[in-house]
Amino acid sequence: MNVEATGLAQTAFTGRKKLSFKSVLREAGIGLALVALVIIFSVTTEHFLTANNITNILTQVTINLVLAVGMTFVILIGGIDLSVGSLLALCAVVAGKAISLDVGVPMAISLAVLAAVLAGTVCGLLNGAISAFWALPSFIITLGMLNVARGAALHISDARTIYSFPSEFNAFGSMTLYGIPVVFLVALMLALLAWFVLTRTVFGRLLYGLGNSEEAVRLAGHSVFWCKVAAFTICGFTAGIAAIIYMARLNISSPIAGVGFELNAIAAVIIGGTSLSGGRGSVLGTLLGAFIIGVLANGLILLGLSDFMRQMITGVVIIVAVILDHYRAKYTRN
Amino acid sequence: MDIVQTREASQGQTDNQETLQDISPDILTVRDLHKNFGGVKALKGVSLSLRAGEVHALVGENGAGKSTLIKILTGVFQPSAGDILLDGQVYKPAGPRDAKFRGIQVVHQEFNLLPHLSVAENISFEQMPRTRLGLLDKKEMDRRARVALDAIGLQDVDVNARVYSLGIAHRQLIEIARALQSDSRILILDEPTATLTDRETDRLFNIVAAIRAQGVTVVFVSHHLNEVFANCDRVTVLRSGETIVTEEISETSPDQLVALMVGRRLAKEMALEKTTTELGSVALSLQNFRVAKSPYEEGVSFDLRYGEILGIAGLVGAGRTELLRGIFGIDPVASGQMMREGTPVSFASPREAIKSGIGFVTEDRKDEGLILDMAIAANVALAALEKVSQKGLLNRLAELSLADRLGSMLKLKSGGLSDRAASLSGGNQQKVVIAKWLARDPSVLLLDEPTRGVDVGAKAEIYAIMRSLAQKGVAMLVVSSELPELITLCDRILVLSDHRVQGEIPREAFSEEAILRLAYQRKDQGI
Amino acid sequence: MKILKVAAAAAMTFALATAPAMADDKPVVGLVMKSLANEFFKNMLEGANAHEAKRGDYVLKAVGMQSEADIETQINAVENFITQGVDAIVIAPADSRALVPPLKRAMEAGIVVINFDVALDEKAKEENGVELAFVGPDNRGGAKLAGDALAQKLGKGGKVVIIEGNPGADNAHQRKMGFEDSIKEGGLVLVESRTAHWETEEANTVATNILTANPDIQGIMAANDSMAIGVVKALESAGRSKDIMVVGFDNIPAVSPMLSDGRLLATVDQFGQEMAANAIDIALDVLAGSPKPQGWVRTPVTLVTGEK
Repeated sequence: MNVEATGLAQTAFTGRKKLSFKSVLREAGIGLALVALVIIFSVTTEHFLTANNITNILTQVTINLVLAVGMTFVILIGGIDLSVGSLLALCAVVAGKAISLDVGVPMAISLAVLAAVLAGTVCGLLNGAISAFWALPSFIITLGMLNVARGAALHISDARTIYSFPSEFNAFGSMTLYGIPVVFLVALMLALLAWFVLTRTVFGRLLYGLGNSEEAVRLAGHSVFWCKVAAFTICGFTAGIAAIIYMARLNISSPIAGVGFELNAIAAVIIGGTSLSGGRGSVLGTLLGAFIIGVLANGLILLGLSDFMRQMITGVVIIVAVILDHYRAKYTRN
Repeated sequence: MDIVQTREASQGQTDNQETLQDISPDILTVRDLHKNFGGVKALKGVSLSLRAGEVHALVGENGAGKSTLIKILTGVFQPSAGDILLDGQVYKPAGPRDAKFRGIQVVHQEFNLLPHLSVAENISFEQMPRTRLGLLDKKEMDRRARVALDAIGLQDVDVNARVYSLGIAHRQLIEIARALQSDSRILILDEPTATLTDRETDRLFNIVAAIRAQGVTVVFVSHHLNEVFANCDRVTVLRSGETIVTEEISETSPDQLVALMVGRRLAKEMALEKTTTELGSVALSLQNFRVAKSPYEEGVSFDLRYGEILGIAGLVGAGRTELLRGIFGIDPVASGQMMREGTPVSFASPREAIKSGIGFVTEDRKDEGLILDMAIAANVALAALEKVSQKGLLNRLAELSLADRLGSMLKLKSGGLSDRAASLSGGNQQKVVIAKWLARDPSVLLLDEPTRGVDVGAKAEIYAIMRSLAQKGVAMLVVSSELPELITLCDRILVLSDHRVQGEIPREAFSEEAILRLAYQRKDQGI
Repeated sequence: MKILKVAAAAAMTFALATAPAMADDKPVVGLVMKSLANEFFKNMLEGANAHEAKRGDYVLKAVGMQSEADIETQINAVENFITQGVDAIVIAPADSRALVPPLKRAMEAGIVVINFDVALDEKAKEENGVELAFVGPDNRGGAKLAGDALAQKLGKGGKVVIIEGNPGADNAHQRKMGFEDSIKEGGLVLVESRTAHWETEEANTVATNILTANPDIQGIMAANDSMAIGVVKALESAGRSKDIMVVGFDNIPAVSPMLSDGRLLATVDQFGQEMAANAIDIALDVLAGSPKPQGWVRTPVTLVTGEK
């Protein structure tokens, strides 16, 4: 028995050795696809590889990245959350109401952030508790929540766009640091935190375990219920954060915001190599997956392709990415 | 029960066969069949012949090769060596469909019915009748189903009833009706009575008699020797993947069959005797302990002492695993009491059982024991995460040193503790499961088939581990289908049948015959 | 509002279908609208409610839909109104073809039908032998007003981009054509035309990326104000608010600050709030004996700018 202290810290839990060719391929595979896209767009378009455009891509990736990070937790345990797009709208509307209160700018902004995060967290908690308690498929529970949240958003806002937020709040949405949007830094920090939780905590370990074999985790004496609830709660929390970013970026809250965002988030997670049946995947993969979607959307517009072509190519790339990942996973496993 | 003429029986077979062959020709002949799964030899020389229109019993212990043989006959597996003749011609089914086409049908222990479809739809499922327009011919389907049901005496079943609304016995019979739909020449019944009541069993055998009168050959796989003796013409005994003997029922006895099924074990394994240790106080005590599935009020009662290895023997379905699951708080307990060191306890979840110092090495390593995709070290630490973490943060070095310590203690052979558990051999995987529980220093360990799928060398190592745990005072409850394993390891053996303790055997009275006799006592009180 | 109760009411009144609709003899008008999740229709409904309260001489029954494409609900609503024996149906059809047959049935039942907001398909009307006037705004003409305002500001040769609504939606198509009319007439150059599905966030992303690919554009025409907001924010982030002009459509409240400070050059008001009310007026006039309207009754469309 040999214990190599070097490779261990990084990989003990997923069972991969650090620098073997296979492990590089495994983690970097989707990264290579991203690099390929970047090269293609850099060669074919004039403006892709400019500082401004990179800033734009980072901004455009942000919301999807935040949602996808939350979605990673849910998909890792073999679940799915279809409600995040609607939750974003609900959180944005609730926060929009809060920020319009006449309590002074700092207070209003704090209240708005709190309201958005709280609304998302509570809805996520409900998603998790209901599907875990009655052992119901999260697909259908979150589909229900999708409607509940959208309806609530429309009801609360009376179907009207809420606007005129404090300029301080607005400024935060377009603020950059050395060309990097602050909102993206927020998303990145969230991703880092998620990475830490998933790889370095007991909770994260149990989530991976749950996705692989719920029974094994239960028989090892852990509470499966609370792990599931926590995963969905985190996903709801990220919807709240995404709502704040949405508001700061666009300076409005719309009850019809975020339609279909859940599908983009799921796509980012799956492209990033997380198994839809759970148990396998990483936040790094999700980050790369979100970038693939973002870069593709950006690059295809720069290329001047028509809307319909763009939609088709995006679909094809998603399918190809997942097929490639299938083979990559197969190859690195044997 | 006396076992006297064990050896002679196996010599007698050839004579019998040759004399009877002239009377009724063989429909199917299996010659020296071998089947390997990787390195495991499931079949190593099975020979068998079936006569047209006979009821032929196939008996043997769990793992003797009965299922493998059936799967080869029905085209699920291809044999590694040997051949099969059907009507004197080579029979090599390409798959289950082909086997059915050739007239060989099997009715499985597990049902293959589609519960939400009607009886008629289930019966015709393999070949749906069509109208000239290519649409489903419902009338014809119902008619066929009616004929099929009438043929086996199920006049009272409505062909349009949904299968889920029927009882288990009816389902079993509908399976048979379905199998008889196509022109069956050989019908294999794999433990058909395991879930039936006596009356239902009688009905089944009436049907078997009727089928046989139509000239169909029936192969009957069963653990219940009284059924074999009451209904079969001949019996073939399998043991460890080999044919031991084929006998006329009239010329053998249940005692003789049991002796043949058990055979003489490897002297080496028998030599691994448990060194007796001083038993401590009572660690776990059950009184009329009954899980939900258990049909009898009396349940199970026993005392397990520290340092003791208590074996649980019994046939498949006797309730052994269910008992362990009940103790460990996985399945709800219906009635009865459990005491831990004299204090009444009831565990609502495995979590509580674990807290009280109990560990459970499950039978199903792949789904329940291990998380195959995770690192060995992660698996070892899974039940003791609080030992390798502070405030919810994992300390990977602590985890590795824990895995390292237990790994060397159990002589775990791996490429590295960060490799996936799936990369290990069966024996080493089992050591990881044991290590997972040892990480918690349990005082009571439940083990369900602790050496299933483990090679001989690792088996001996696992026995050694268990013995040394007993020396240290750990109380162990071991479920095993391998009788020599129980005989070697245990201080005492309880034999379960139908979720009840059929008998208790003290160490000095251990013998496979004694265990089997108790185990088979469910319906055949006679033998 | 009691939109959701209409179905229940329909069931209840079924038995009374042959009886007079209302005891006090006030005419009953059934209003069928599109998605009330859309601010535009929400406003329209409120306008109609206010109108009912103000006139006081008719009873309003309104039905909305779950989403823009929920044609089924509209057809059911029309059929329920026929069963209830309402006096008039005022409808903003979700589909310009599918609604023709049920409306024909309504007319055969002696109900006055007024089609507003989106015109029914001419060919479908002809095939079904239906003669029905359309009361509604000229989306194309309205868009041209906004487009002309931009053209005037930019002068000949100005490079512009169109942000379209949902591909396949009739009003999206009309507005795009209106913008294209202005481009042709005003001698502008169309650099790109893309959809952002009526959505703010998507418009923001699309506009940002178009701007990257074509930094020299001078004007952007958005087919609704929600998208115009996203475009304005994109220009702000890129620091191009000063040199690129934006026009929108709908005049929703959220754009009024942008109009006053010039971030939005102009938008178009089609008086959605009054649109349903106007259609109801026409229906009531017909019920009172006025001749049926013919062809296209255009409702007012006005350009709104910051200079008031």
